[in-house]
Order: sequence, then C-alpha cells, then structure tokens
Amino acid sequence: MPLVNFTTREITCKLVYYGPGRCGKTTNLLYVHGRVPEDRRGNMVSLATQSDRTLFFDFLPLELGVISGFTTRFQLYTVPGQVYYNATRRLVLQGADGVVFVADSQARRFDDNLESFQNLQENLLEQGVDIRQLPLVLQYNKQDLPADLILAPPDLDDAFNFRGVPSHSADALHGAGVFETLKTLSGLVLARLATRPPAP
Amino acid sequence: MRALEPWVEAPLSEFLAESAARLALLMTSAGQVVAQHGFTRALDVMSAAALGAGIMASTFELAKVMGTRPMGSVVHQGSAVGVYLASFDTPRGRWLGLVVFGRETSLGLVQLFFATLASDLARAAPAEEPPRQVLAENFEAELNNSLRALFGR
Repeated sequence: MPLVNFTTREITCKLVYYGPGRCGKTTNLLYVHGRVPEDRRGNMVSLATQSDRTLFFDFLPLELGVISGFTTRFQLYTVPGQVYYNATRRLVLQGADGVVFVADSQARRFDDNLESFQNLQENLLEQGVDIRQLPLVLQYNKQDLPADLILAPPDLDDAFNFRGVPSHSADALHGAGVFETLKTLSGLVLARLATRPPAP
Repeated sequence: MRALEPWVEAPLSEFLAESAARLALLMTSAGQVVAQHGFTRALDVMSAAALGAGIMASTFELAKVMGTRPMGSVVHQGSAVGVYLASFDTPRGRWLGLVVFGRETSLGLVQLFFATLASDLARAAPAEEPPRQVLAENFEAELNNSLRALFGR
C-alpha cells in the first residue's frame, strides 16, 4: 500500500509499468519526464544496457501536489521486458501500489503480450498479491501503426481485459494516451486510500 | 532531517552524531523513504532510495543464486566517499539503510554505529496504530486539478 506519513502529511505511491520487451514502457516515462515541469519531477534514472534496453529498471519520481491535505508523490518504475530478466522484474514489482500493463498492439506481438501478462500474474502471486486486488490499467500502445499491422482495442480487450479494468489506446512516442493512463491508475491507487486504510 | 515517524528521529540523530556520516537514508525494502538526512530535494532522495533498494534486492537474489546466506550489507568505496548499504529487521518489516561517509570517519565506525541504530530502531518502534482512512472520499477533483497542473492540460 502507499506509504503515508501522517506527521508531514505525505503520500508516496509506487506505480510500475509492466509489459513485453519493446512495448513502450520506457517511452511512457520519457514522455512524462519531458512534459512535467522540472520542479515537479526528479531526474529519470535508467539502468539500461549499452543499446538502451532496460536492464534493471527506469525510475521517475513525480510530485503531484496536495490531495486532501497530503503532499502526494508518485514513483514510476518500468521493468525490463525481455523474458530472461524475470528475476529483476520480480524485484521491481515488489511493493507496487498499482500496475500499468503496456501491451504492444502489433498482431505479431500478441503472444509476447500474453506471455508477459501471465508472467505479471505469476510474479504478483509469488509475492502474495492477487492481481484482482491490485489497481491495474491496460494500455494498448502503438495504435498509431497501420491498421493492418495492429489489433484494435476491442480485440485486445477480448484477449486481456477479462476483468473489465480500465484500458486506454496509446501512442506513447507522441504522448497520446500516456497522460490518460497515468491519470486513471493514479485515481485507482488513491481511491484505495479513500475507501480503505493503508496496511500497517 | 526528515522522518516518516517521530520515533525514528532520535536513533537516527544519534547515529549521525556518532558515526560522522554525511548522508543517511532509511527506506523500506521496496524503496519507499522512511527517513533521511542530508538530501536537499525530496525527489532526489526517492531516486537514491530506488537505487539503494535495487542494489540490496539484487544482492539478496545473487546470494540465493550462489546458494549462500543473504548478505546483509554492501560497501562501495570511492576515493572521496564511501557508501554503506545494509538491511535490518524492525517490527515494521525489513528496512534498508544507505549511508554516505567521507574521510572524516571510517567504514568500521559506520558499521559499528549502524548496528546500534538498527537495534535502537527495533526497540523504539511503537505498537502499530490501527489503520485509518487517509483521503477524503471526494478527492478526485483535487487529483484531476493536480494532474492538469502537472501535465499542463
């Protein structure tokens, strides 16, 4: 659950962007980093390989402002998408307050999305977290690509959104859907603080 | 110094005075900041906590792979400053400490007083408070305003 400091009235939430390799997780954070005023964000930390693939995680701290009298901060993380980095994915996922699952809308990446989504469920379960209890938003990225290369959002919903969680179409490279995704997940995570208290 | 809860402040102050460390950061194992001394920007301290927690988490995993007992601490020694990272158990769960120290002290002193800090914190931790509601139920309007201000739209 989010870390709540009643003395200084601060809330810190950990949000994790999950998904297969090259689906656009880092691109989401880069877009947010580029749009948010400097005094409201920290430096973006990227632990990446020489070819700019995420090795451990990307990290971007954001200061949202004051909500219900609490200074609210978000810590945005991405996980490395490649299958063989599962150990580090598990570490980054630890203590997540909410997850964005970024799916690559290209039809040829369908199986990769599926594998990553199943991997998310497995890794959460291993930490004792039921995915049905965790704030989750689906983002169907790369919807700007030609229609014959991608699956439409309703098709992706059919495949991945059996829980009926919020989903957004996105073109993270140009920013479409990035803000909406973050806004939706923020609302879900904070809503838990309004309806149920944080775990001690 | 900024601390999540007041009972952390006295043990941390004593550690800083005794060890002569320059920066100190206490965090949960998930990288959430619990207390800090010496960092000037809240957002920078979050980055340091994320990196420190990442290092400790990978160190634990590495020990598992090697089939050894978990390593409780890691030291990075630079020419001007050193960084000491260590985990310890508290009644509030496993916490991590990240300490930056210079030539005015030594790794041995930092380790010595960090062990004291860990046991002092374990003793000082009060009984857990009953959970309570944090945000008003109608927080959405404020959230939307904050996000609009953040993204300029």
